[in-house]
Amino acid sequence: MSKSNVSKLLALFAIASMVLTACGGGTTATESPAAGAKVTSTGFVCPEPSPRVEVTSTELNIFVWTEYFPQDMLDCFELVYGIALNRDEYSSNEEMYAKVSAGGSAYDLVQPTDYIIGLMIRQELLQELDNSKMPNLGNFDAGWMNQDFDPGNKYSVPYLGGTDAIVVNTDTVENIPQSWADLWKPEYAGRMVFIDDSRAVIGLTLLTLGYDVNTTDPAQLEEAKAKLAELVPNIKVFDSDSPKTALIAGDADLGMVWTGEAFIANQENPAIQYIYPTEGPILWQDNWVMLTGAAHADAAYAWLNYTMQGDVFWLTIRDFQYTNPNTAALEYAKANYPDVYNAYADSPITNPPAEAVANGHGIKDVGDATPLYDNIWVEVKGE
Amino acid sequence: MLQRLRENKPAQGTLLAAPTLLWMIGLLIIPLLLTSVISFGRRSPDGDVIFTFTLDNYTRLLGYSTDCDTGQASCFNPLYMQILWRSLTLAFNTTVLVIALAYPLAYFIARAHPKRRNTFLFLVLIPLWTNFVIRVYAWMMLLRTQGVINLVLGWLAGLINVPFAPLEMLYTPGAVLVGMVYEFLPFMILPIYTSLEKIDNSLYEAAADLGASAIKTFWRVTLPLSMPGVVAGTILVFIPVMGTFIVSDILGGRQVILVGNLIQRQFLDARDPTFGSAASLILMIMTLIVTYFYTRKFGFGEEIVAA
Amino acid sequence: MNPHRRHPFILSSAMLVYVFLYAPILVLILFSFNASRANITFEGFVPKFTDRVVMDGSLVKSSPCGPFHWFCELSKNQDVLEAAGNTLTIAFTSTIISTIIGTMAALALQRYTFRLKPFSQLSLYIPIVIPEIVMGIGILTLFSQLFGVLNGALGLTGDSRLSLGLGTVIVSHIAFSVPFVTLVVQARLQGFDKSFEEAAMDLGANEWTTFRRVTFPMIVPGILSGGLLAFTLSLDDFVITFFTNGPGSTTLPIYVYGLLRRIITPQVNALSTVWILTVFAAVLLLQLLQNREQKQN
Repeated sequence: MSKSNVSKLLALFAIASMVLTACGGGTTATESPAAGAKVTSTGFVCPEPSPRVEVTSTELNIFVWTEYFPQDMLDCFELVYGIALNRDEYSSNEEMYAKVSAGGSAYDLVQPTDYIIGLMIRQELLQELDNSKMPNLGNFDAGWMNQDFDPGNKYSVPYLGGTDAIVVNTDTVENIPQSWADLWKPEYAGRMVFIDDSRAVIGLTLLTLGYDVNTTDPAQLEEAKAKLAELVPNIKVFDSDSPKTALIAGDADLGMVWTGEAFIANQENPAIQYIYPTEGPILWQDNWVMLTGAAHADAAYAWLNYTMQGDVFWLTIRDFQYTNPNTAALEYAKANYPDVYNAYADSPITNPPAEAVANGHGIKDVGDATPLYDNIWVEVKGE
Repeated sequence: MLQRLRENKPAQGTLLAAPTLLWMIGLLIIPLLLTSVISFGRRSPDGDVIFTFTLDNYTRLLGYSTDCDTGQASCFNPLYMQILWRSLTLAFNTTVLVIALAYPLAYFIARAHPKRRNTFLFLVLIPLWTNFVIRVYAWMMLLRTQGVINLVLGWLAGLINVPFAPLEMLYTPGAVLVGMVYEFLPFMILPIYTSLEKIDNSLYEAAADLGASAIKTFWRVTLPLSMPGVVAGTILVFIPVMGTFIVSDILGGRQVILVGNLIQRQFLDARDPTFGSAASLILMIMTLIVTYFYTRKFGFGEEIVAA
Repeated sequence: MNPHRRHPFILSSAMLVYVFLYAPILVLILFSFNASRANITFEGFVPKFTDRVVMDGSLVKSSPCGPFHWFCELSKNQDVLEAAGNTLTIAFTSTIISTIIGTMAALALQRYTFRLKPFSQLSLYIPIVIPEIVMGIGILTLFSQLFGVLNGALGLTGDSRLSLGLGTVIVSHIAFSVPFVTLVVQARLQGFDKSFEEAAMDLGANEWTTFRRVTFPMIVPGILSGGLLAFTLSLDDFVITFFTNGPGSTTLPIYVYGLLRRIITPQVNALSTVWILTVFAAVLLLQLLQNREQKQN
């Protein structure tokens, strides 16, 4: 390659990069903060923040679950406050914990599920939240606050909740499974998609053996490991990012997924249904926490407050349908978007029947027994 | 002082090499040392590293564990050796397939008209310069149950009126193999091409004059002279395959666990950095051993580096 | 001449390999015009030009951009542009630095003897032969421990805290680029004829002038090749960036990986198509420049 060619090529790249950095390196908000409504690229009109919080930070770093945030919610926050929002994603609590505890990362807010908050508090990764800075906290249903993984909500505020249960494509599967134990049947081999969540999968195995999902008894865990080793080869794909894709695409016919994934799959294909197993589904709740040493705490409070507003939070009812703890959002949706609200309220997926909830099991932090669970997971999946 | 520097040649050399040396020490040697230290440590229940000296991680890799779940004194678990073996066989199979596919193409380009060679080469380079992750995604679209391949096969079966059930191709070890071969094929084509291109035409003419058949010419002239390219290509393929985790993640449905996946999972999901570091070091040692013996036999192929 | 040249076996297998290489790419490009948002099967091209997007179920029935609907969506996507900007910034910075220090190192290794020479040469081979994940994990471990210690010792908090981000990615990219640059320039220096330099010195030029006007111009092709190699490696890097990046330093490969973890719409395909066509255009340009240069000679 001769000298002049390469220098021309380099010049080309230089120009291209200057053009692109000019486009992308500047502000991420496309609309100028002028008077009048802020509108996102999909045409959604952003509500004003109420109350409006004073913020000096210019960016906010959040570390969140995949497939969990309406894009409009993110865009609106950027438009309304002029703060650049940097979002990184994970698809398991363990992955999140590993990155956060490794240190060196600059996240302000993360979204752990209930059971791992205890561990994060123990490891001093979280800072206490100042509830006085979040006047919209009252929007949440009292039944979701003050849970035993964080009494008094000192460290966390709720986001969304849901269940883990069986999902089935009733068109392609003849015998619909009714219990976790049914999933072991040979007729389902090679047709299942499971979320890649160690506690949930080991938990449901323990339930089939009649044990507690949070047991620390090594003998019971050993039994669960053996039983799980029979199931794993029958699972076609583990996917915590977007398991609905496998169901909709027909790569899998049944399996175990979360509420929201099942709801969206059901909307794309009504034959895909959600079954609460007889042993009881797994219940969970995701929460916002602020990391110790967060550099943009004021922006974080602004974000939390803004997204807690009923007219903003209802977007989750529209886009990612999990069980919603925000009464203001539910009322807003009911009043203004009855179709969206009714789809949510009528569905047994997002509104589990009372017996299912009563029968449900929450995953809890198991402290020192955690490595036992981790080891089972690694060994069973490595076969 | 500058005058003294001017006369002191070794010092000049050291100075010139200093920045690079600092970078290598800081970002290569020290991290590797750190990884080694951690690999001899123990994991705290919460996933932190306790800096002690224990060989537990290594013995666990070999399958011999003194900390059994069932409370026995010692037990043998061949799991990790299986994972290592699986990765080795996958890397080997990939390399063989890649050589089988790359050689004819490289040969074709090397023997093509000189004016057209560049075009053919660029046609090989374009997929190479297209993003790695995108190429893996492309295979997802082809292999899934309602993907393009099944669509075409179904259509063909319809033409000849044969009943057709879609093939389950995605999320199998086969998909991972295809993905790996696709990703690394260009890395083998280029070095083989370079070494083939250097073969002097007169050698072929001499062989023909001496009455050698086409096959014999290939076996005794072409193949041996192209070995440096094959070696360089093998190194460029074998080693990355051993360490890749993306292809098996996306195309294997997180079910095909290779060494790369094991390491990644130890650090991310299982929160056991000590074990992950041990696995990481073992992987590195294995690749160094393989490279050493391979280059001992076949040479390093330095002349191909500039490909 | 060569008895193998037009052997049908060679020709047909070569063509088959080309098909193998390009079939997935062509499928990717085709699906970027898919009317189906779920992007599982091809439901026809996005039709029509109207003034609004009409989505019936998951099919795009009409769109202001017509068949280029997903490309329009892509152009409104700020995250992509930011990722592209990051990717190029990182590639340029790491290429320039690694080319400079790599060339210096190559000169040192090729022409001088000094105590650390064997160690340097060996350490340069290591990044080439070890798997990227080993290096990535190692660097991540280093940064985690280092930042933890430094942040605590210097009492850095808030925005001034050391953390993973653009800087750490650039530094890591330099680490794996430098060996390649050094080896390429070294190879070039190996075939270098010293008599030119000696002639220049005989004619009275001092060392610096000799270097500037004789040596350097002759090794520039090697330097540029090395630089281009470093640029390519940085542009496409996934594994090392995966372990060393932080919020706001996403690169295109990481971004595409992130897209694959969500519902995959044809927007991913549109991004892939743009990437492929950019590469294609660059290569075409290179071809034309080379042809023109050859004609001039």
